[in-house]
Amino acid sequence: MNIIGPDYLVFGVDDLVACSEFLTAFGLTPAGVDDKGGLFEALDGTGVIIRHKSDPDLPAPLPTATMLRQQVYGVRGDADIEAIAAELGKDRKVHRLADGTIETTDDFGFALKFQVTKRRKLEMPAEKINAPGAPAQRGPNVLGVWDGMPAKPRMLSHTVLFVPDIEVATGFYCQRLGFVITDVLKGAGPFLRPKDNDDHHTLFFIRTPEYMKGIEHLAFHMGGPTELMVAGSRFVKSGYESFWGPGRHKFGSNWFWYFNSPLGTHFEYDADMDKHDDEWIAREAPFGPEASQMFLLQHREKWVPGPGPAPKE
Amino acid sequence: MRLCRLDEVLDGQARGFSVPGLQRKVILVRRGVSVFAYRDSCPHYEGGTPMAWKADRYLNGEGTHLACHSHGALFEIETGECVLGPCLGQRLTKVPVRISPSGDIEMVREPAEEELG
Repeated sequence: MNIIGPDYLVFGVDDLVACSEFLTAFGLTPAGVDDKGGLFEALDGTGVIIRHKSDPDLPAPLPTATMLRQQVYGVRGDADIEAIAAELGKDRKVHRLADGTIETTDDFGFALKFQVTKRRKLEMPAEKINAPGAPAQRGPNVLGVWDGMPAKPRMLSHTVLFVPDIEVATGFYCQRLGFVITDVLKGAGPFLRPKDNDDHHTLFFIRTPEYMKGIEHLAFHMGGPTELMVAGSRFVKSGYESFWGPGRHKFGSNWFWYFNSPLGTHFEYDADMDKHDDEWIAREAPFGPEASQMFLLQHREKWVPGPGPAPKE
Repeated sequence: MRLCRLDEVLDGQARGFSVPGLQRKVILVRRGVSVFAYRDSCPHYEGGTPMAWKADRYLNGEGTHLACHSHGALFEIETGECVLGPCLGQRLTKVPVRISPSGDIEMVREPAEEELG
């Protein structure tokens, strides 16, 4: 079961205009969007699909505040679709669509879709840094930052779900769909990566009461910490509301910056996440501020100390 | 303390105001000639978190409720009670305001010591 990760997250929203404005300002590109909504994509074609919450084409809503209506997972090939259909068909309805995709729900009622991934292969350099003792990544006359530098989300990175039972959640995603636990924050939940993805996590669970079931946040990978800071600073300057960050997580090592959104979930810029393989042994730490981040900063308006007041004559 | 003129908050709209000394903004929501005021602080997490998704954007899409754009919690405009979402049954903190004879919206009292950031 070669699941790669989330291709799209589908939302049923109450204000398409506000959501379009937000998603575009966040750095996503409308792809075939009309007055009924559509896809806002990162550079590799993964992204967020919005429809009005009353759109009859959407899967049924959860009975909570969440606007998440479906998670669309990309898999490597048709054989993987067949394997998932066979496995999940043992105890639930799996709908086959004319385009070869399948739809079903997980054990909590979150709607899922599996498709042969539509993401495009990216070929872009990572952020380059220079440090004494190491060969220069940026040679002579190559600048690190400049006004107007690009800072676009490259790829849908991960989803975090509020779920009422961690054992049920990990049972479904690990035993049935082949996800692997990379690390655990005890008191919250585990980080998971699917078999065909070496990112530290594409999925994380936080245990909550049933009435909170839904999406806590989603994240997009940026090209590096500088792009994350540039994108986040521009976003704040445009009036958008920072929720948490910038900072750097411990588990996953990824830089983070979270923002409120009109989609009823946080949108995160992330960068420079750890990679893992099957040799990795999951760590555990108690959930809390110390385990959650290496450091936490807070945005402030640009300021410069300068020479100070002129000396009195 | 004067926040703004009544006609600077459009009917059915909300606005947020930074108040010197207060850690969180004050949200004003206008319904006709009535104004409701709360601290911009969702009760879901200890200490509260800011609720807009962008400056002054505090309402849900239909404009029927104050919304926290962290997780989509909805609050009644008149009472501040959470009716859907993670802080179900909890309330926003009311800020006492009055409309002066000249049409200014004023906070009734200065911020208390414990509210100062």
